[in-house]
Amino acid sequence: MIKGWTGKRLRIDLSLKKAWSEDIPPADLRQWFGGRGLNASFFSQHFTSPVSADSPENPIAFAVGPLTGTLAPCSGWTSIASFSPLSDSPVYGFTRMPGHFGASLKAAGFDQCIIQGKAERPVTLWIDDGEVKFEKADHLWGKETTETTVTLQEEKGDRSIEVLCIGPAGEGQVPLANVIHRLSWTGDRLGLGYLFGVKQLKAIAIRGKKPVTLQYPKKFLDLCLSLKNQIHEGQKRRKLKAEGDSSLLGREERSSAHRRLPPGSEKQWATSLWANLSGSEGCSSCPVHCGRSVQDRGNSLAGIHLDKPWYLGPQIGVYSGEWTLKLHRFCQAQGLDPFLTASLLGRILEGVETGTFSEEDLRQMDEIEDHGEKVLTLLRRITSGGKKEFHLPAPPTSDNEDLDILADIVSFCMIVVNRLNLMTISNIIDLINGATGYALTNKDLQVTISNIRQMESRLQNKTLHWNDQTSLLRQEKGQISQILKKEERDHVSISNPTAS
Amino acid sequence: MSAISIIPERCTGCQSCEMACSLSHEGACGSSLSRIRAKKWEEISVFIPTVCQHCEKPPCMEICPTGARKRIPETHAVVTDEKRCVGCKSCIYACPYGAPVIHPSTKRTMTCDLCKGSPLCTQVCTAGALSYIPEGDSSMERKRAFGQTLFHAMRTR
Repeated sequence: MIKGWTGKRLRIDLSLKKAWSEDIPPADLRQWFGGRGLNASFFSQHFTSPVSADSPENPIAFAVGPLTGTLAPCSGWTSIASFSPLSDSPVYGFTRMPGHFGASLKAAGFDQCIIQGKAERPVTLWIDDGEVKFEKADHLWGKETTETTVTLQEEKGDRSIEVLCIGPAGEGQVPLANVIHRLSWTGDRLGLGYLFGVKQLKAIAIRGKKPVTLQYPKKFLDLCLSLKNQIHEGQKRRKLKAEGDSSLLGREERSSAHRRLPPGSEKQWATSLWANLSGSEGCSSCPVHCGRSVQDRGNSLAGIHLDKPWYLGPQIGVYSGEWTLKLHRFCQAQGLDPFLTASLLGRILEGVETGTFSEEDLRQMDEIEDHGEKVLTLLRRITSGGKKEFHLPAPPTSDNEDLDILADIVSFCMIVVNRLNLMTISNIIDLINGATGYALTNKDLQVTISNIRQMESRLQNKTLHWNDQTSLLRQEKGQISQILKKEERDHVSISNPTAS
Repeated sequence: MSAISIIPERCTGCQSCEMACSLSHEGACGSSLSRIRAKKWEEISVFIPTVCQHCEKPPCMEICPTGARKRIPETHAVVTDEKRCVGCKSCIYACPYGAPVIHPSTKRTMTCDLCKGSPLCTQVCTAGALSYIPEGDSSMERKRAFGQTLFHAMRTR
């Protein structure tokens, strides 16, 4: 077994109620060194053409990297892939989810989990340290996410269990539905809630007790400690922490939002938002803690990830922090994807799309004076409308796709790596070396990124081939190369402690 | 003499302390190998790290039938002598915090040893929930805040 990995893949068939474990060949782990590549390679091996999102064979794949579940800062992300229901014809889609789910999956003894089949009755998967049980979930069906999470934990008598579940939106097969765990961290932009709903999978409850072993524990510890400081002391993180600057996150779409903000409104929004937030929440081993707890009349509620408020705020013309939080709470309880929801709401409000609404409906809506209330009313209608056709735009592409992929393949936080630039490529190479013992070169990284991109393009039937000239050009002059050159010049590799 | 000070309102549930503790003591990362554990109530965003408090009058030392629980004079830490421990778990039941945990492979209890005087968990806690400070400085305000959080957590559960 390669250190840092468990070397196991959990296969689940909901139709047959069977679960079994497979060995992942060490060569695959060495080749992909992360969740995104493992998922893409699984799909490439098993599917020559896409299957319908509704079909039982359509897998939902969760996978983690060698650094997941360790002290490595910001290693709490999980890569997820499936044939997505969001487009007219099924297409290979992938996303990533922050939080603690990946770390729990690994502690339960698995690097990857593939869920196929369709249950006849609502079911919960209970993965207890490597053992899998299919449990009836009729009593949970219809329940909001908070009640589902707490009920499952109380039934098992252990609040340390991680519960990944859907809400009523997912059950009703609303394409905008997502999955949520710890009531804050969500898997978005893939229609995951819909896919769980189709499979009648209400929740996955995980408890893991297996530690992650490391190749060079001493070196790894030293690296993690210095990296933690590097991130914690980073200027952008400080700015993020500073009060009222929540809008640093989730603003990529700002330039494309054609709406001009009324003067002072953004500040007013941020102030009213922050008045209702306190305390922080963090992903597994994260020094940034970009989740906040929501306060409601002196009561503490489940948290909000700072990625989200912007979308449920100024992005859709809501300039009241209270309304943003109300909208978020609705999404949280129902299991709705805030990003897709916001983009659909935006289009309806701009009159570009009518969604499920008749003109009469929209005229009635115009009579509601408070904009926040109007949006929430729209949202309630969308959720109760069930499975309807929406035209969902593609997620915004990042400025630096290579860095996104790099963060994603090792199941790292893109916010820290790409948006805040608080971790360098050499840092990641050093960490992987400490955990697994691989001595990766920059060339290896470039080849892997290019391979993953090609696999994904083939799965998505895009015209990018092995001999594609543009991709070779990218590899030659790509952003990764430029960044690496810059890093070499700046000598930013922070430490080279001797291997223990 | 210094002690680990816990301010649970600041804990974010990131579990870095657990990872650092297990990595430095056992050379592997995992909550089950950690001497400190962050308890969670996610529906109300409450996270509370629990760790041995190294009591002045430790119930674990009084109850231990084999005398395995002992105090290290240099750090004032109360730890388990693995050679004497028989894994009877009395210390876990006697501890008001339930802080001692069972080592998954040796099946003996283990508790915080204050890392020989520089606890690593306090160094990795960027949220400021854990710090290692002189005992007298752990102020009344902090104790009251902790009590309130516990009270709140119990009442709303």
